[in-house]
Amino acid sequence: MTALKDLTIKSFHDGLLAKHFSALEITQAFFKHIKASDGKIGAYLTLNEEGAVKVAEVVDIAMAKDEPQGVLAGVPLAIKDNILVKGQRATAGSKILENYTASYDSGIVKKLKAEQTIFLGKTNLDEFAMGSSTENSAFKLTRNPHDQERVPGGSSGGSAAAVVAHLCVAALGSDTGGSIRQPAAFCGVVGLKPTYGAVSRSGLIAMASSLDQIGPITKTVEDAAILFKAIAGRDPLDATSSPVEYDDKLLSPDLQKVKQLTVGLPEEYFIGGIDQKVRNGVDTAIEKIKSLGLKFKKISLPHTKYALSCYYIIMPAEVSANLARFDGIRYSQISNLKSKTSNLKDVYFKQRGLGFGPEPKRRIILGAFVLSSGYYDAYYDKAQRVRSLIKQDFDSAFKEVDVILTPVTPTPAFKIGEKTSDPLSMYLSDIFTIPVNLAGLPAISIPVKKYHYPNPAKELPIGFQIIGKHFREGDLLGLGQYYDKLS
Amino acid sequence: MSSPINKKTLKHLAELARIELKPEEEEKLLCDLSRILDYFRELQGLDTSAVEPMTGGTTLKNVFREDDERENTNREAGVEAFPETKDGFLKVPPVFG
Repeated sequence: MTALKDLTIKSFHDGLLAKHFSALEITQAFFKHIKASDGKIGAYLTLNEEGAVKVAEVVDIAMAKDEPQGVLAGVPLAIKDNILVKGQRATAGSKILENYTASYDSGIVKKLKAEQTIFLGKTNLDEFAMGSSTENSAFKLTRNPHDQERVPGGSSGGSAAAVVAHLCVAALGSDTGGSIRQPAAFCGVVGLKPTYGAVSRSGLIAMASSLDQIGPITKTVEDAAILFKAIAGRDPLDATSSPVEYDDKLLSPDLQKVKQLTVGLPEEYFIGGIDQKVRNGVDTAIEKIKSLGLKFKKISLPHTKYALSCYYIIMPAEVSANLARFDGIRYSQISNLKSKTSNLKDVYFKQRGLGFGPEPKRRIILGAFVLSSGYYDAYYDKAQRVRSLIKQDFDSAFKEVDVILTPVTPTPAFKIGEKTSDPLSMYLSDIFTIPVNLAGLPAISIPVKKYHYPNPAKELPIGFQIIGKHFREGDLLGLGQYYDKLS
Repeated sequence: MSSPINKKTLKHLAELARIELKPEEEEKLLCDLSRILDYFRELQGLDTSAVEPMTGGTTLKNVFREDDERENTNREAGVEAFPETKDGFLKVPPVFG
């Protein structure tokens, strides 16, 4: 019987075709493992055993008839709980959606369903994807499988923890300011944030509409390429989704082309205050990539230090608009409030007052402030101009280099509770990931070396980030796949 | 350090956002927001006169669909989640009163 820990999307597909196992056997093995182990880790919020088994059975019947199977057929995935799967609970990690059952499928879920992909369940996240540790979930704590006293990162902490602890083969998360890349780095797995518009946002519970993207969290870069290719593509239900198409070269990159990439090292990302372990890790990655024959060049992204302020003005502004729809009526209701409310306005105040946690409240209020009369120019308009400057920095840099390499986070995974009393210190953990979303670029977080789980030495993973030009996921995935081969 | 968000402004924002805040929540918010807004001061010194503000995440323009009839295949979507309905409409408490 194949060990779950040895399964990647690729090896699952090979094993299924070779009839080493059936889709049902593996699906059931995952649920058994989840029930035994997820109590300690807390990756999942909702499980989908019945639905998953049904799809597994369909795949096995097709296999028995020797029908051709797509690479994702029968592959058990975990899905972040802000991505809608029709008929399954979608909470966005919030009490205000505690009883909401998704009324339609996300665009990407429709694509994956057509491939007979299996959804094991929905994973834990910071409430409405707001956070960098998954500690803001209204429901439960997720622990970093490498060291259970530490956070898995956020906001896609549940998905990242599920992948590294072998509670799924691969997962999907979302990234607005680093929420795929940072947990991937903290958990020692691969996380890809696609170019803005590469993947449909239809069915993703919106946080900041000009920044959000759904992306894969996987054990290998090859798996990230497979999953990305399956979910990318224009969706008529998302007007911001791009008509750019990706070809199969994503899955079989040309080493000669990869060697010709020039890698930029931006001085603003290699400042003092970065943990020495992160520094050493990223230096190791740079040496390994040099050994592949790639050239490196020092570059500057001069407006980097303004990115955090810029993001924490624009994102809350969009949040205040996107979360206005949660009225405690339409999707889910907190019960026992009827006696306290006599009119509609009362319902809104009470439901939202009780339904939102501290971080969404903080961001909604901040967002309302920066958009309000008298302050709009000084804050929101200013931030949108700074955003242009940050984007221009990248546009200029990409005239000299093809990809940019940076750390993902200033530190490895921090301890649970370490940053919860000071919101600003939590926000600062995203300084290297945020500029990428502001510019709409693709970026991947790759572990410096393979981290085994269980990990008795509790060695904390370190990730490095490669940022690419718009729609050039091929460069990131190509370089990443060759890096994977070296480790 | 005086913050642009004082108690009166906070009450106004909470009113706009339709969120009922408890007194201890108000205290913490005033403190947190003051620190955060303080951090934003660094932007004021930056010269942004030479750039246009960005308007979103994409440079796509005028993304339209064909002006054809479409059939609604998920009519119950959403209605099933309504706490109270009448004839398929959402029933809510009085707006005034």
